[in-house]
Amino acid sequence: MRRFTENAFVYSFLRDPSAIFGAVLMLAFAFCALFAPAIAPMNPYDLASIDLGNFLLTPAWMDGGSLSFPLGTDDQGRGILSTMLYGMRTSLLVGFTVVTVSSVLGILLGMVGGYYGGLLDAFIMRCADTVFSFSTTLLAILLLGVFESRNIWTVVFAICIAGWVKYARTIRGSVLEVKENAYVTAARASGARDARILFRHILPNVLPPVFVLMAVDLAVVIMLESTLSFLGVGVPITEPSLGMMISIGKNYIYAGMWWMVLFPGMTLILLVVAINLFSDWLRDEMNPKLARNT
Amino acid sequence: MKRKILISALLMIFTALPSLALAKADLTVAVDAPPKSMNPHSYNSDANLSYMSNFFDGLLQRPAPEGKLTPALATAWERQDALTWKFTLRKGVKFHNGNPFNAADVKFTFERMKDPKFSKFLNIANSIASIDTPDDYTVIFRTVKPVPWFAETMHQNFIVDKESSENRDSGDYNTRPIGTGAYRFVEWVKGSYIRMEANPDYWEGAPQLKTVEIKPITEDATRFAAIAARQADILSGVPVPLIDRIKKTPTIELISRPARRCIYMDLGNRPGTPYADIRVRKAIAMAINEDEIVKTIMRGQATPAAQVPDQATIGYDPTLTRLPYDPEGAKALLKEAGYPDGFEITIAGPNDRYINDKQICEAVAKYLAKIGLKVTLDVKPKSIFFEELASHKHAFYLIGWMDGSYDFGRSAEMLVHTVDKDKGMGVYNGAMYSNPELDNAIVASAAILDRDAREKALQAVNRTSVEDLAWIPLHYQQDVYAALKASKLKFTPRPDRWIVVKEIKK
Amino acid sequence: MARYIFQRMIQGVIVLLAVSFICFLIFRFTGDPVLMLAGKYATQQEREQVRVAYGLDKPFYVQYASFLGNALQGNFGKSYVSQVDALDTILERFPATFELALSAILISFVVGVSLGVVVSLRPGGALSRLIMAGSLGGISVPTFLMGIIWVMVFAVYLEWLPPFGRGDTVQIGPWRTGFLTLDGLTHLIMPALTLSGYQLAVLLRLTRAGMREVLGEEYIKTAWAKGLPPFKVIVKHALRNVLIPVVTIAGLSFGELIAFSIVTESIFQWPGMGSLLLVSIFETDHPVIVTYIMLAAFIILAINILVDLLYGWLNPRIQYD
Repeated sequence: MRRFTENAFVYSFLRDPSAIFGAVLMLAFAFCALFAPAIAPMNPYDLASIDLGNFLLTPAWMDGGSLSFPLGTDDQGRGILSTMLYGMRTSLLVGFTVVTVSSVLGILLGMVGGYYGGLLDAFIMRCADTVFSFSTTLLAILLLGVFESRNIWTVVFAICIAGWVKYARTIRGSVLEVKENAYVTAARASGARDARILFRHILPNVLPPVFVLMAVDLAVVIMLESTLSFLGVGVPITEPSLGMMISIGKNYIYAGMWWMVLFPGMTLILLVVAINLFSDWLRDEMNPKLARNT
Repeated sequence: MKRKILISALLMIFTALPSLALAKADLTVAVDAPPKSMNPHSYNSDANLSYMSNFFDGLLQRPAPEGKLTPALATAWERQDALTWKFTLRKGVKFHNGNPFNAADVKFTFERMKDPKFSKFLNIANSIASIDTPDDYTVIFRTVKPVPWFAETMHQNFIVDKESSENRDSGDYNTRPIGTGAYRFVEWVKGSYIRMEANPDYWEGAPQLKTVEIKPITEDATRFAAIAARQADILSGVPVPLIDRIKKTPTIELISRPARRCIYMDLGNRPGTPYADIRVRKAIAMAINEDEIVKTIMRGQATPAAQVPDQATIGYDPTLTRLPYDPEGAKALLKEAGYPDGFEITIAGPNDRYINDKQICEAVAKYLAKIGLKVTLDVKPKSIFFEELASHKHAFYLIGWMDGSYDFGRSAEMLVHTVDKDKGMGVYNGAMYSNPELDNAIVASAAILDRDAREKALQAVNRTSVEDLAWIPLHYQQDVYAALKASKLKFTPRPDRWIVVKEIKK
Repeated sequence: MARYIFQRMIQGVIVLLAVSFICFLIFRFTGDPVLMLAGKYATQQEREQVRVAYGLDKPFYVQYASFLGNALQGNFGKSYVSQVDALDTILERFPATFELALSAILISFVVGVSLGVVVSLRPGGALSRLIMAGSLGGISVPTFLMGIIWVMVFAVYLEWLPPFGRGDTVQIGPWRTGFLTLDGLTHLIMPALTLSGYQLAVLLRLTRAGMREVLGEEYIKTAWAKGLPPFKVIVKHALRNVLIPVVTIAGLSFGELIAFSIVTESIFQWPGMGSLLLVSIFETDHPVIVTYIMLAAFIILAINILVDLLYGWLNPRIQYD
């Protein structure tokens, strides 16, 4: 235990209340999402269990509320709390899948480009520049706009199309530095194969900044998924999503039914803030040049 | 010094600002759909025709509130035999550009409507075999086959000016309408508003309200905001969630009337599918709690329907009734038909076409899940949904219908007649319902000249379709409007939802 | 230099070609526009008649070649919906989008950079902590949610600001502006704030990071030591050097601005190009979608080249070869 707390990394984490707050919140959200079927009062997407008669109920503590729907219901009689829990699953599923796929893709392309250089490198980087200048959000909106049918996986695909670029750029930069190091040249001189050099010698040394990127990216992707669903080009209405809930609730704000927007909205913000607090700490930790003092 | 000049210049600009703002129009109407084009034949949706009805006239018109066919640019009309229609035109009418209106314009209009580059009214235009103009004020149409509803569509075939239409390029033609209508076009700022002014030379006399602005606001909540902020005098398409709120607002009056459009679930009877068995079709119909849909999703702003045509349509049968809501009975019927454990069913529908279409689909899905069917929901934007419907991808879907012709004959040909590409039948029969006896009855009815005899024949067609469950009617929509009480307007809603400004008085 | 520009332009053309090709390829397999083009009561035969009239029966490469040929002459086809030239349809909406984007850029730049400077000067102060917390909010609240929250607070509850549209506008030649009427300006407030939110937070964080690095450098310490007025040291010596990368990054993320303008316009019913794009997507209006994408690509590429040149000009150490 002593050794654990003496580790510089853990030590700085334990001394940073906002990082702890972010991490705890993140874990709580992940837990709720993972065990949504067990926690949620109802499954809002099991058609047989929803009763239209319960539509537009107010939160439980207000007049007309019901204890079986603590945060009220939407226009289909789905509990807001349950729908939110299930919607978070979609958010996190999309978030983690996109981050995993695009980081793996980006790492591979970045390493190959940086290590081999030449025409291949130039091609990869030109593609990266172009895709980057369009921005992930714009590409995803346009791509999903021209797709005919949309589901979670088309959303993942559309975000990944541009998502790999930042990883590739970062990795390539680090690879260019690392590959001139003595141990790499030594490995090469001893006749090791390229794949071995790349994965055994270079990868471990260029990976740390990628973790920061992944943490930042997770927040961005979760926001992007909700934005796409809000615009109507994201997950279809038959899937739960925080963005979709807000877009439904938006029609009711003038009717004074604020709970349909406010609860999913706050959840989304908290989720993103939690991830951002954590990633802020991680960045400062991995980038000692900018010691954190706020 | 420099700074002083700058400050005084800024002050001048800001004090001048309010004076640059335009004077408010006599009437501002907020509607739910923007115009797609100012070509009167470009779009046959009610939304677009509604705008056009102010700039153009048809040979006939349908004034509020009943929408009975009355003279407009034609003073009289007659079906001379099964194929021949004669219209006598009004004299002394002028287009907005000063050109006189005559038979040549009518001939030109209907010929132009045949060209897919200019028109989406191919159906009615292609049914015309020849157009004769014995003199300047008589037009005789001969149709390809008997089209009993030919005159019934004449309120929405708007007449354009021959001379100017031939000379204008399509960009101009599609953005600046020139008609004979009660209002002249002033300005169309896309995404914001359309402005028009009264036509002082209108053949019915100049309309009362001189300057009019129509603001399309597609977003439900914002449309309400427009009238709440007194930026509109009349609101068409009051969003259902806000009805209760408006009822509580003392400054706004709620006006509603039954709409012509019927929302129904369409299903086929293709052999080899569960739907081939009428007991299954019946079970599905009995599982749906329409009263609850009307009460909750529609906030009471709908009337349960027993058939697809509405009361104003030739072929409406007042004696038809709905099947009762009976989930237990439905389960029993399913068991009888050999599906005690249900079967897989996909409910398709558009999510941006009818009032609360998506929610209705979701509700139907719930009801069917409760009688043990394994339901999947497949709702999507109309642009994709209708394409899939045309390629018969869906066996069970939600759709709405109102026929611009007020004649069930055309509806039956398109909706329940067996799909037959060569004869142009069953275009919207997406679920491929087929009943040869019904087909024969539909075709036979088109040749009947006598109106009463035809009505009987169409009622029989209607009855068969309902009794054989070719479709499951849900409800007629209710059109809900809101009006600002302070504006003191006399506004009577129309059956077709058009905003015909000349009918609105102060 | 000339060679560099030429090279970038060739690249730009290749990108535009690729973009248009991909659009065409996807459209080939999605959404059949014939249905909409033929109208509600059309029979199957009439639909085929329409297909031929619009050349949609021709093979893919023929359609693409004719599109390219026309595009080279500045003709991007006609909107399926309005039958009006697609490029005109979009350009008509350009002023609305431009004014919104310009206001948002100004707000985010002025506010973001000055707050960034404030925070970097007294990193531990209460004000700085507050601003940093706010900036965390800025990057954690998605644009669409921020817009809705603005509407809920300032339009629904307080009823201070109009929730939609551009208000009164004035037509000056081909340009329709909302800057010149009071009504137009009040309509601009919420959309502009919404659109600027994310960018503002990003600029703030970039400025703060840059300032902290620069403030530690020798020449700044020298400037302080010489007793120059603080304003001069901060703005003339420090900020100038910080702004170069900040502006570059802002310029390079122009695509992001276009994307968020789509979101903002849809929330506020702002009659610009973004809301047109969304409507066109739901109506399968292929010519308008393609034209929008090509135009967006063109603008982004042009701005990228400009930013590169500007960067080289401000920072002569960079060599183009």
